Amino acid sequence: MAEIDSSGGGKKGGGKKRSKKMSTKIDMTPMVDLGFLLITFFMLTTTLAKPVTMQLNMPDKTDTKETSPVKLSETLTVIPDEFKVYYYQGIPTDAGTKIDVTDYSDTGIRKVIADLKKKIGNNFTLVIKPTKKAKYRNMVDMLDECAITGNKRYALLEIDPFSEALIKRSGK
Amino acid sequence: MPKVKAKRQSVSLDMTAMCDVAFLLLTFFMLTAKFRPEEAVTIVPPSSISEKPLNAKDGILTISVSNEGGVYLASDDQLGREFMLERMASRYGVAITAEMKKNYMASEIVGYPAGAMRQVLNMKPADAKKLIKGIPIDSASNELSYWVGYAKLSNPNLKIAIKGDQNSNYDVFSDIIGTLQAQNINIFQLITSPEGKPK
Repeated sequence: MAEIDSSGGGKKGGGKKRSKKMSTKIDMTPMVDLGFLLITFFMLTTTLAKPVTMQLNMPDKTDTKETSPVKLSETLTVIPDEFKVYYYQGIPTDAGTKIDVTDYSDTGIRKVIADLKKKIGNNFTLVIKPTKKAKYRNMVDMLDECAITGNKRYALLEIDPFSEALIKRSGK
Repeated sequence: MPKVKAKRQSVSLDMTAMCDVAFLLLTFFMLTAKFRPEEAVTIVPPSSISEKPLNAKDGILTISVSNEGGVYLASDDQLGREFMLERMASRYGVAITAEMKKNYMASEIVGYPAGAMRQVLNMKPADAKKLIKGIPIDSASNELSYWVGYAKLSNPNLKIAIKGDQNSNYDVFSDIIGTLQAQNINIFQLITSPEGKPK
């Protein structure tokens, strides 16, 4: 860039002819600078603002024929709350059903799901029943855990009073 | 003397070509850039590992849920939006003037009960921000269901996207899902912000 300046400065030393030739050449450096600045801006804004989606398919309520049987022993019910996740296996009304609590960290619910999935195999089904206090983020986190653990069988349900009672009884 | 001059000339390079390329690229990015529409409410979506971009081919109806639980509607299908306004207005007996229609088309978002439609649409979108508090979704007057119904009627291929704030309550989301499932809409695109995949 300094070179351009010096060539422009050549006017002084040169004859009249030279100075006339030089005057038709404009310094384009600021223009190019500005151009590239704007390019950078538009490149960054276009790529970063792109939202991503996760598709959620809910069952068709009008279609009652197509149900797939799921064994209770192969399901895990997770109950996301605002800061923690409850989980149990089996039926909530059973006296023997044990409810546990964990968190949203890598070693929390993800490990529980991954371990159980490894034990049960492809038929593993996750039932998600968010509590009334749960945030939208918690539900997305749970769907995300399904994607991370590669679990394609999951159902999103309303919480039932039995599960609520189970949580209350456990006192966790 | 002549040697020195020749050297000077050689270092000043012609920037015209570079400039041309720069501005060509600039024009390209400016034209392809899609600015985020100004939102009446700020929504911070939760993050997920999903990498699927939003497919906007057939038009998208976005249902936004704010932090406080307000429900808002936005559509990128302009024809459909006009249709929705006309149907909603005639359903709730609101006479639509040309001015109201202009204000409606200029605003990105629908977020008011039908009762306030006349008041909101008679204002410029920028002035009406305070009145935009959300569409009623309770069972007594589920206006969201009508809005979505009319949108689907005008464009059956319309995709439904749900953009919830990460701290919005789950029951609002569950109500929306319930409303849409009642109309046999079972596929939703949940808008999230990208996040790195864990190992």
